[in-house]
Amino acid sequence: MNEIAMDRPSRPVSAVLARVPGVAWILGLLLIGFSFFSRDFLTGPNLHNIGLQSVILLILALPQTMIIMTEGCDIAAGAVLTLASVMLAWVLVHDGSLPLALAAAMATGLIFGLANGTLVALLKMPPFVVTLGTMGVAQGLALIVTDGQSIVVNNDALQAVYGGNLGGVPLPLLIGVAVYALSHGLLYHTRFGTYVFALGGNAEALKLAGVRANAYLVAVYVLGGLMAGLAALILTARMSSGHPTAAIGMEFDAIAAVVVGGTSFEHGKGWLFGTLLGVVAVGVLRNGLNLLTIPSSAQVACIGLLVIVALFIDGLKGKK
Amino acid sequence: MNFALSRPGRFIGALTADLKTIGYRLAAALVICVILTIASDAFLTANNLLNVLRQASLLFLLASGLTLVILTAGLDLSVGANIGLSACIAASVMKLSGSALLGAACGVGTGLCIGVANGLLVALMRMPPFIATYGMLWVVHGITFWYMAGTTIYGFPAAFRALGSGYFLGVPIPVYLMFVFLTLGAFFAQRTTYGQEIYAIGANRESARLSGVPIARRLILVYTVSGAMAGLASLVFLARMNSAEGDIGEAFTLPAIAAVLIGGTSLFGGVGTVSGTLVGALILTLVLNGMNLLTLDASWQPLVTGIIVILAVFLDTLTRKRAEARK
Amino acid sequence: MNQATVPLLELRGISKTFPGVKALDDVSFVVYPGEVHMLIGENGAGKSSLMKVLCGAYTADAGQFYSNGEPVAIRSPADARKFGIAVIFQEFSLVPYLNIAQNIFLGREFKGRFPGLIDHPRMHREARKILDLLGLDLSTRTLVHELGVAQQQMVEIAKALSQHARILVMDEPTAALSDRETERLFAMIRQLQAEGVAIIYISHRMAEVFAMGDRVTVLRDGKKVGTRLPGEASPDELVRMMVGRNVDMTYARSFGTSAGEIILEVQDLRSANGVKGVSLKVRRGEIVGLSGLVGAGRTEVARAIFGADKVTGGEIRLFGKAHRGTPDQAVAAGIALIPENRKAEGLALIRTVCDNLVLPGLAKAFPNRLYQAAKARKIARELIDRLRISTPSPFRAVQVLSGGNQQKVVIGKWLSSESKFFIVDEPTRGIDVGAKAEIFALIDQLVQQGAGVLMISSELSEIVHVCDRAYVMRDGRIAGHLAREELSEENILKMGMQHE
Repeated sequence: MNEIAMDRPSRPVSAVLARVPGVAWILGLLLIGFSFFSRDFLTGPNLHNIGLQSVILLILALPQTMIIMTEGCDIAAGAVLTLASVMLAWVLVHDGSLPLALAAAMATGLIFGLANGTLVALLKMPPFVVTLGTMGVAQGLALIVTDGQSIVVNNDALQAVYGGNLGGVPLPLLIGVAVYALSHGLLYHTRFGTYVFALGGNAEALKLAGVRANAYLVAVYVLGGLMAGLAALILTARMSSGHPTAAIGMEFDAIAAVVVGGTSFEHGKGWLFGTLLGVVAVGVLRNGLNLLTIPSSAQVACIGLLVIVALFIDGLKGKK
Repeated sequence: MNFALSRPGRFIGALTADLKTIGYRLAAALVICVILTIASDAFLTANNLLNVLRQASLLFLLASGLTLVILTAGLDLSVGANIGLSACIAASVMKLSGSALLGAACGVGTGLCIGVANGLLVALMRMPPFIATYGMLWVVHGITFWYMAGTTIYGFPAAFRALGSGYFLGVPIPVYLMFVFLTLGAFFAQRTTYGQEIYAIGANRESARLSGVPIARRLILVYTVSGAMAGLASLVFLARMNSAEGDIGEAFTLPAIAAVLIGGTSLFGGVGTVSGTLVGALILTLVLNGMNLLTLDASWQPLVTGIIVILAVFLDTLTRKRAEARK
Repeated sequence: MNQATVPLLELRGISKTFPGVKALDDVSFVVYPGEVHMLIGENGAGKSSLMKVLCGAYTADAGQFYSNGEPVAIRSPADARKFGIAVIFQEFSLVPYLNIAQNIFLGREFKGRFPGLIDHPRMHREARKILDLLGLDLSTRTLVHELGVAQQQMVEIAKALSQHARILVMDEPTAALSDRETERLFAMIRQLQAEGVAIIYISHRMAEVFAMGDRVTVLRDGKKVGTRLPGEASPDELVRMMVGRNVDMTYARSFGTSAGEIILEVQDLRSANGVKGVSLKVRRGEIVGLSGLVGAGRTEVARAIFGADKVTGGEIRLFGKAHRGTPDQAVAAGIALIPENRKAEGLALIRTVCDNLVLPGLAKAFPNRLYQAAKARKIARELIDRLRISTPSPFRAVQVLSGGNQQKVVIGKWLSSESKFFIVDEPTRGIDVGAKAEIFALIDQLVQQGAGVLMISSELSEIVHVCDRAYVMRDGRIAGHLAREELSEENILKMGMQHE
């Protein structure tokens, strides 16, 4: 009988500690640190606030995880979200039907996702520059449609999305949970998800196995676009308006959350729950810095530092 | 045998070597001018043309350093944020010390430091350029905002403002700067061994490495130059706007990349010229100017620039794929 | 071996030609169920081409496959899979962050209750069955990147079996395995044999051929030389079959020059890339051969000496002085590397002939860093004349040149940098006969002018006819050294194949 078994050595404490992902350390430190520095931090309302704010980021970051796993990225996400939000607001103001508005937002996301995916997968263009270009296009369109002004929306159905709750749980949170569940199912229980791992890990093997790899790559970017459309619902609801620069730059937070959560830009290594933790970490960081009255722009610098720290910790652990 | 050429000789030689490769693009620029002349009365006025030249000069100053980076098959997405921080630091030092010279030095110095940081991330930490400079973009942006704390600094000495708004012999001063750096840039790329090595790195990095080119040192060099040029461009920008606040410079990254790509420099490295970037900057500025004259909203500009970038990358990818198929 | 058994697959007259070389020339052979059919031959004999034809990656230009007397079309990987042929290449087709079961069934996942869903439990059950069949005590949920090379290879075998492979083609399977792992592999192979699976096994180790092979087929220059039963043939005979051929060397080197001082001395060199303790010397005026079969580690030694790979142990002495460093430091010290893969590593294809020729010598030609195109042109023209590089103009991109002329550029570019020690890796790969002679004349010139050359070549006749002496490598180490009198193709092969 062969003994090609995995060696299972006894587990010293350090080995256990080494298995704790970097993001968990970071989250822990942030929570402890901020509760130290600010009395308002660890309060019910504040934590509730963090949760609500983070949902939009989560909806952006989940598909971004998959895109990054395919060794690509989507830096147009924030701009597409903004445009979708503007479109949603516009339809609401002119038509009043929330389902129609949502459809418009998601169609917007779909179009951009399709464009990104086609350029990257079929025309083999570098994802970063492609999405940089589509970011400009989306940004431009948002400015044009709104003429630079907010589109204010007075719609009860919309307000209910943000303010309402089901059984005591705020609707946005439920939406977030649903999106997470959907993403989890997609990534870990469908062929699509399996192929996401393969696209980043060994696309050749996928092609040799007779799979239409390019189609799946396009699909990943399309998913990103659709999710941006969905996130627009919550964003517009929260602001009760569609503003042309509302979510510009949010893709940075999303990518930061993904990277902090342990997903790698190479080899198809990704962890959805890590992204969730990363989103919470970014949310906690922003919230904590807000309480310490540090301006948003400086917060961004801190998020950058956070990413570097996370990469560093994971680099230390990955020394096999 | 004495191979030393006179300075004018080298200047012309460096330029013509570049110019030969950009004939089509110059022609395109001319065509655009013709179209705009027909489309709008306001185009062919001295005021407008000088304005276009001034804008194009600023864009070129920024994009010239970026050209070198892209020649190595790299990318510097932080140039816009770089302009912002450099201008703000220059402005505040000028105000605090009263010395325009010190402020200017600090501005360029800031740009240079950002460039060095990028270079270290890319060359030593082996981070992919787009990630490193993308992260840097946000970090620098954040620092700028925090440093300015919502304030605006304005009102600079006239001598300094001449840098951006002044004229000499009827021509805006930035245009002179453009020519100076066109010469320097073309010279660096075509007439120094550094330039040859940079082209080699972009054409085939591994082959260059195995031919003895010190890759890390050269990469740090190009990112540093890109940063320093952003610092310099920030001075011209500051002089022109006569004010500095937290969110300036953001809008420059996409146009800078567009200018480099339109000018014929390939994202995949090893192909391109500094003069091409000049023509690219000119073409882009003409297009945007045309949009202004036709009273299109300024909001259209990022859209059009984005589409231009996509088209340029598309053409670049096609050309490269065809070249590779021939191998 | 029951000769009355019906063959699983028969190849008749398979030929495959590439521009300039006939990789397979009228190859016919038969595969029986349950046999281990060894395929041996020196580098370039056609083994890997045959493998690719078998798995449908290449389509044969002539010849046919037969099964049960009926012709079978194998023109694509899908065809090969349908027929039951699975090939295990040296670079595995595995996705690192998917688990074993997912890798085995990549592209053939079991459908779950709703469209698009995967039936994981069933997938793991089926994977478990196969792993058990192979005697693998690994959890099917293990991620492939956590496995060692031997285990990954097992997963590849499991993958092949799950596709009901009847013929398994393995390319040097024991190359990266320890002795223990090799034993396990052999046990698994015997198990597969018992179930009627045929194994085509490409090997460079004589011991394996005789230990495991039921039959041995020898390829040489794309032709099948013969098939023997290990019981009836001797290793010597097999070596002779692999080697004997008409030598078309039109280059005759005069071995007059006596060697001078030691230029390069390497002691117990180790590198991160598989060099496991190599010691050798090269003197002025010598061409020293570095031979060995594919995978023996010759290119890795070259890269370690040049600094292209990280050196982890041992000493390099250049002109008596200790040397270690990056490629740019090596170049400054006078070492030149002509890499194995000239297009990917030796040239910048989109740059001009002139640009490529002057690159290594930039520092010496322009010490003040000011590049002058006129002087560069002059240097390039001199080199083009001296080496007789045939190019429409020095300003064409080097990718338009023929292989031979490209190689001249790769070698020629070092002449402007005054290198004294040249490492030449497969100098005549993909080059026609006429150009080969010119390349060797060039290398000869170099050593006559006082340089030292370490030449890696897979063409045994080249080593024998051009080198003053040669080291033979095996498994990352030097297996032996052959002086001029001892230098023969047979001796090299014997040393490389572990057959004394």
